Amino acid sequence: MFFQQLINGLTTGSVYALIALGYTMIYGILGLINFAQGEIYMCGAFVTVLLLATGEVNFFLAFALGMGAAALLGVVLERVAFRPLRGYHPLVPLISAIGASIFLQSLALLLFGPNDRPFPIQFAFSTIKIAGLPVSTLQIAILAAALAFMVLLIVFVRYTTYGKAIVACALDRDTARLMGINVDRMVSLTFLLGSALSGAAGIMMAIYYNATYPRMGLLPGLKAFSAAILGGVGNIPGAILGGLLLGVAESLGAAYISSGFKDAIAFAILILVLLLRPQGILRGRGD
Amino acid sequence: MTAYVLHLAIIAGIYIILTVSINLIIGYAGQVSLGHAAFYGIGAYASALVSLNWHFPFAAAALAAMLVAGVCGLALGLPTLRLKEDYLAIVTLGFGVIVDLIFLNLGITGGPDGLPGIPPPSFFGLSFRQPWLYLVLVIVTVILVLIATYRLVDSYHGRALRAIRDHEITAQVMGINTPAYKVFIFTLAAALAGLAGSLYAHYITFINPETFGLHTSILILTMVVLGGMGSILGSVLGAVILTILPELLREVHAYQDLVYGGLLVVLLIWRPEGILGRGKLSLKFLKKEG
Repeated sequence: MFFQQLINGLTTGSVYALIALGYTMIYGILGLINFAQGEIYMCGAFVTVLLLATGEVNFFLAFALGMGAAALLGVVLERVAFRPLRGYHPLVPLISAIGASIFLQSLALLLFGPNDRPFPIQFAFSTIKIAGLPVSTLQIAILAAALAFMVLLIVFVRYTTYGKAIVACALDRDTARLMGINVDRMVSLTFLLGSALSGAAGIMMAIYYNATYPRMGLLPGLKAFSAAILGGVGNIPGAILGGLLLGVAESLGAAYISSGFKDAIAFAILILVLLLRPQGILRGRGD
Repeated sequence: MTAYVLHLAIIAGIYIILTVSINLIIGYAGQVSLGHAAFYGIGAYASALVSLNWHFPFAAAALAAMLVAGVCGLALGLPTLRLKEDYLAIVTLGFGVIVDLIFLNLGITGGPDGLPGIPPPSFFGLSFRQPWLYLVLVIVTVILVLIATYRLVDSYHGRALRAIRDHEITAQVMGINTPAYKVFIFTLAAALAGLAGSLYAHYITFINPETFGLHTSILILTMVVLGGMGSILGSVLGAVILTILPELLREVHAYQDLVYGGLLVVLLIWRPEGILGRGKLSLKFLKKEG
């Protein structure tokens, strides 16, 4: 029972971590909470589900296109809703992000209706035993995929020129500009990467829960932001750690404390972290 | 028809109180609250519960609502108001979700079914079951709230708040106790939202968690931005417009949230000062220093 909950928690936690990476990167470079991150997650899931429902696209292509659509939405969103407001009081882009989030959510509601859509294709997942304990291969697949995306992102940020340019912009935008870095392009690239990861997270959750619906991004989005704060905002390994911890805490809390308050656990942890250790577990770069 | 207009006027009055109260936080103190509907709900439930269980008269129930909502605001504000705006946004949003879950899961709040049969107010044997009488009550309350708010923002304390909004560190250097002011204004706004909740509960006579969710928090926020952050008259106008507009555009009811969301983004880009902002109040604080 405990082990099962732990695995469940790690699976959802790895998905929170993927979304948290987007939050943390965008916050790192712009100091902005992209409230619409949850809707980007939803967009990735919907594009993949709709493509697969046509029956003409194979799974991997649909997955890639879903991520691509999410990335595109992220970049467009930044251009339309955030870039014109750069340099204003932080409240202004924040409210704009909330507006964008509500807009996208209700747009999806109008286009696709409020009902859950099942994932169009079935996978032959089974349960295998690891060291005598039962684990679903679906959970292993999600964990492995999430891990692969995280490693790719870390490698990109640490070892490529563009990755280093993003870090430079996050550290000091003005100096980065003086060094000849095109800051606007780096901001777009950050949105592209973060949104692609959120899109991937959405697709994985659509498979895991077998449900895609317009409001699916709301709670995972908020929880992922809590995860980003938990790990220290602006800190990439911190976001991963925060996501995993939050997923496990939520899963254990729902099992052992109260399932009715499952969604409240993440926020209770968030408030506690902000009170006791506002810089996060691993110190964030944001402050 | 008259009944319908009366109903709209009463609802608009309740929204005016909510919008003015959150404008104190956003437009004057430069903080943000995305869980304002939670205080509205806390007030409504508190008022309903004391009337149903202990037969409090309306005035006492409304005071209890303000007190409970205010205490909750204080409890949330004390630890969190030292955070930056964006953290505060998430914490208040999380608070809204938690409070919503509490309404849904607690036995005393009636869960998803809510609380029916809340008695309408009566003063000296005069029952306010009549909508026009209730409207008088709402109008009187709104006027009192507006007078109090105007007195507050034009006082030393109001100037201190605006100083915090414009530049917190400078305000601190000038000897303003910034944390105390922020907590004070947050508590006051929560108490006013609680009052609005009480007015709502005793008018509709039935409450359930649906009314007090994220949707309402966003609606109030849109009203403030539409009217202009930092303009009280703007808040009144924003609340009235966004109460009436959806009724006029009944056919597009499904598009309501779409319009609110789009409106927020478009307004901030083209007219961040809102419809009444320009010339009336300096919106320079919206531009970051330097």
